[in-house]
Amino acid sequence: MSQITVTLQPVGRRIVIERGATLLEAAQRAGVEMVASCGGLGVCSTCKVRVIQGRVTPPVETELEELGEELIRAGYRLACQTEPLEDVRVEIPPESLVAGQSLQVEGREGRVTLDPAVVAIDLQLTPPSLDDLRSDLTRVNAALRAMGLPPLSAGLRLLGALSQQLRQENWQARLAIRPEGGASALVSVLPRGARLAGLAMDLGSTKLALFLVDLESGALLAQAGVMNPQISFGEDVVSRIAYANRGEEQRKQLQTRLVETINQTLAEFCQREGLCADQIVDVVAVGNTAMHHLFAGLPVAPLGHAPYTPVVSEPLTFPAAEIGLRVAPGAQVYLPPNIAGYVGADHVAALIATRSYLAAGRTALLVDIGTNTEISLIHGGRMYACSCASGPAFEGAHIHDGMRAAPGAIERVHLSEGQVRVVTIGGQAPVGICGSGILNAVAELLDAGVIDARGVLRAGHSRVRPANGKAEFVLADSAETAHGREIVVTRKDVNEIQLAKGAIRAGLEILLKEAGIPADRVEDFIVAGAFGTHLDLPSALRVGMFPPLPLERFHQVGNAAGVGARQMLLSRALRREAAEVAREVTYIELTTRPDFTPTFVECMYFT
Amino acid sequence: MDEKLKAIYQCIVEGDNNGVQEHVRAALESGMDAGTILNEGLIAGMAEVGRLFEEGEYFVPEMLISARAMKSAMAILKPHLTSEQVGFAGRVAIGTVKGDLHDIGKNLVGLMLEGAGFQVIDLGSDVAPEKFVEAAKNNDVDIVAMSALLTTTMVNMKSTIAALEEAGVREKVKVMIGGAPVTEAYARQIGADGYAPDASRAVALAKSLLS
Repeated sequence: MSQITVTLQPVGRRIVIERGATLLEAAQRAGVEMVASCGGLGVCSTCKVRVIQGRVTPPVETELEELGEELIRAGYRLACQTEPLEDVRVEIPPESLVAGQSLQVEGREGRVTLDPAVVAIDLQLTPPSLDDLRSDLTRVNAALRAMGLPPLSAGLRLLGALSQQLRQENWQARLAIRPEGGASALVSVLPRGARLAGLAMDLGSTKLALFLVDLESGALLAQAGVMNPQISFGEDVVSRIAYANRGEEQRKQLQTRLVETINQTLAEFCQREGLCADQIVDVVAVGNTAMHHLFAGLPVAPLGHAPYTPVVSEPLTFPAAEIGLRVAPGAQVYLPPNIAGYVGADHVAALIATRSYLAAGRTALLVDIGTNTEISLIHGGRMYACSCASGPAFEGAHIHDGMRAAPGAIERVHLSEGQVRVVTIGGQAPVGICGSGILNAVAELLDAGVIDARGVLRAGHSRVRPANGKAEFVLADSAETAHGREIVVTRKDVNEIQLAKGAIRAGLEILLKEAGIPADRVEDFIVAGAFGTHLDLPSALRVGMFPPLPLERFHQVGNAAGVGARQMLLSRALRREAAEVAREVTYIELTTRPDFTPTFVECMYFT
Repeated sequence: MDEKLKAIYQCIVEGDNNGVQEHVRAALESGMDAGTILNEGLIAGMAEVGRLFEEGEYFVPEMLISARAMKSAMAILKPHLTSEQVGFAGRVAIGTVKGDLHDIGKNLVGLMLEGAGFQVIDLGSDVAPEKFVEAAKNNDVDIVAMSALLTTTMVNMKSTIAALEEAGVREKVKVMIGGAPVTEAYARQIGADGYAPDASRAVALAKSLLS
């Protein structure tokens, strides 16, 4: 067979190649941009893919080294080293794509049926004359009526703008209209042919993800990730709530800084894309409940103390102008429903984005890992959700040499025969260790027998040495690091990981108990969020953060909340689905469960 | 050390719940003094657990398991102890402050205090200032211990101290605080008598406050 068809999923591209071409070449020819850091030499693992169907050449030595036996057994291969022997189907995980995670989830979804809240109506009117003395508005409404649309409802400013636009452009105009019951709400007045754009935002506690989308085609026009400016008022949302509790001025400050940063990014988008703010006619924002409330300017004090109830859990829509967002004058902001005080609209958005996994009859788990980890379990037509305090260990906080995921952060650790090899982000000399790094390190230390089931470092190992009476494992010698100091893993670091993974596992176990099923009934285990995308799954399984399921059942889907926000921007039907989903979910408050503490304690151990 | 006492001590350190009950019963039957069992078996064992925790050998799960063994041993021993022997170290009212539901740390501190010979009145979580005041007044406590795990609920430590002052009982008790966001500086700021970073040092603090 000299001609081979390679089907790439979930992007959904198909390409025909000749025998002898690699999977990486196939992807490149299909226009799917894959990461290949070493340029296809097989000495890194960034072009990792999973062969779902069809025969391929057997793994070469570097693949075994880079991927490890378990991943190879699960079907993972390096695309640059693997040649298909017959027609194949290949899954490209999000981290192997240059363009980022969004493709992964969209691909799984297929297309979203475009049904945005705001549409463009192009007007070509006959100008007034001595025989036709109708007002501008009457003229417009007649044209709308002829198109089968209800009359315009508009604020004063927009009415004025409408009048001016019509006269400026020879009685032509493009109106951005939001059908609202018996009226056509005027969102913006634009010149003919102006593109209608929408803004979807995932307001993360640490990072804001903004997406500018073409509302008529659904295409992504621009995206940006910016640090949440509220961090200067508090690392985590609870400290921001504490700040807001100090007074009305402080609460407003948190909202203002956030909106300012968003407006700044919008201005950059507009400049880059040659748009003006008036063309951004609809906004969807998602975030955890505290971020949701801070953004909308709602009181947050109740979220800071038991029973942690939100002010609003229903879907919320309000004029963008009310919070000072610089978009089209009549644009509204839609916020999907929250589920509970600590499971918010972002989790609902992630559920929407991953809904194909949650199809009828399947049992699935959705886990979004962060300082708070939100989990949903879908089984037997019911949905259960909970929030676990995993803590900031996965962001590098509370870890001796911990740091955020940035260049120089150790993200992978290989231990063999007493030697340590570390891989850092960006390949530079190590500066510290990030969340995925410490998770991987603990897993490696467990496998090498350096840590026992209780998390104690064994004194006998060559790289374990005492410091101030407490044992430490030397990860990188002072000669190797960027700053000339050693980088170590301490018992306390291991404890922090035990607490974090114990909390997450305990949440999972309690939801499974609530649904009355064992872990192996879970068919799809979806891991979302920034940390979830980069974590090494085998490490997560090894330390017991996730139950021991076959690797193929796991799907790292990246920023599913961001994708969900974009999808809800393009589809009113999905907004309705979001409302239903939120209503259906049974929220479990872990702190009131008598079995929480014993379960948590048990989950802290390693096996 | 007597073999039986050694066995009891070991069971506490290892968190052997069944073993400790067996050995305590056997020791009582053999005529050993309950106070000796308490001090040299149980309390000494818990002190070792605390030391192991501070060394980094033991972590939260081990402490909880040992404390559980201590508790069940105490249940058997109590009827045999005189009123001076029970809670001889002092009386503590402990709780997690209003608006906060986190209790693992607080429970651990309570268990460690019991393991050191204190009588502990556990008020639970989400405890209003008035409830702390009531406990202080009605139970003749020596120490009021408060836990908070959120920066938003920490403020209730301050309001509890104010409530104790208003009720005229602040001078009668020592106030100690703890919890992840709590610090030594915060304790000084709100006028608490002490702060401990973990359950083991909480015991040392409680002892020093009453000495």
